[in-house]
Amino acid sequence: MFDNLFDIDWKSLALPFAYITVLGVSLYTFSTIYRKRKASQSANLEPWFPPHLQRNIYLSLLHMEPEAGQEKAPKIPDSVVRAALLRRAVEDIRRIIQIRTSKQALNTLLLRGSVGDDLNQRFQRAEKEIEEELRDVVSEANALAPGWGNSIFQSANEIAANQALRTKLDAIEGRSESEKQWWEKRRETIKKDFMKELDGESVKGSVKGSDDDGVLVDSGTPAATPGSAKKKKTGKK
Amino acid sequence: MSDIDTFTLLPLQIDPQSKALSTASSSRSLQAELAALNTLHRALLTVETPNQVPPPPVPVNPKRSANINKLRDSGNDAYRKGKHNDAIKFYSLGLQMALGRPLWEPQQLVREEVASLYANRAQAHMALQGWPEGALDAEASVEAKRVGNSKAWWRRGKCLLEMGRFAEAREWASKGLEMEGEDGELAALLKEIDVKLGKEKKSSS
Repeated sequence: MFDNLFDIDWKSLALPFAYITVLGVSLYTFSTIYRKRKASQSANLEPWFPPHLQRNIYLSLLHMEPEAGQEKAPKIPDSVVRAALLRRAVEDIRRIIQIRTSKQALNTLLLRGSVGDDLNQRFQRAEKEIEEELRDVVSEANALAPGWGNSIFQSANEIAANQALRTKLDAIEGRSESEKQWWEKRRETIKKDFMKELDGESVKGSVKGSDDDGVLVDSGTPAATPGSAKKKKTGKK
Repeated sequence: MSDIDTFTLLPLQIDPQSKALSTASSSRSLQAELAALNTLHRALLTVETPNQVPPPPVPVNPKRSANINKLRDSGNDAYRKGKHNDAIKFYSLGLQMALGRPLWEPQQLVREEVASLYANRAQAHMALQGWPEGALDAEASVEAKRVGNSKAWWRRGKCLLEMGRFAEAREWASKGLEMEGEDGELAALLKEIDVKLGKEKKSSS
């Protein structure tokens, strides 16, 4: 009697079991595919910053590979490693400044709905990355020279600011040649105009007498009048 | 995606003698970065701290500041005696020294020194009627120090005026007035520019 019951039970249960398995499998596949897509979507979001070149150089230096034909990897002196770390810190400072300045603007834009959520996600990831990057640099600095972790970012900050200042000043100095040439040309034309005017006047003046005209021409030829130059000297000290 | 645990291995080589880094890659940004790194490395080698790491920005080594001040004073003396060319030379030397400061020293200090040297050199150029040079030096001075630098604002304005660039001069002078607040000389300069501008308009119309 038991056997009988058992047989029937299995057969009638097959359908619900099949139903459950199909349901389970389909749910599982859906969730895995969905999650994978979402993960790949967020991974495909463009990173906020371009690749960190200085960091790559620093880490490449620590993992130098032997050149062809040689057994040992070349030894990198500590001073070079320290310089590379400092460059890395300078780049980090630049990135932090950029993050800080764009944060406010981004938040306002987000509140107004002018930018999408993607941008915010990218930004938050960049923020997190830079925090970890800073911690990493500090610990590396302390490993290279005891106590350097405390001051490396101060130094990096000054370096970044100093470099910015020097590029601006260089840009100004770089214009000097073209400005000078421009002024030379301009002065020539002013001179010519002046001479023309004088010629015109001297035709009129020659009736009276040429001596006075000679004096007039001499004092008048320099493009900038000497009187204004004197004013400058006394005007500012 | 740049992960915190991964990095891109770059093809780097080191010269065993000079310790200079180079690369086989043709990437221009990488080469520029390596050049900057090599310069920084050489600068770091001259540091006298025990680990050869740059010292914290303050306190500053007073030697260089003293030299710069000396050069500026010599320049001022030459200027007062009317030797404008000598003054320009002194100021240029001072500028070289101020801009040659190690990069990790405080930029605020560099700005102060450079601003006064540029402003003084602008004045010397102006005494020689070198308007374009004076204009650029004054602009550089303002770039280094925007506020509390009314002399430099005035000098560039004056140079532009002398070169006949009235519209530029006017823009510059009014910007200077905005930054410096009420400055008598700048205001006077602005008036002068306006008079010239008015004349120019009259003659052209």
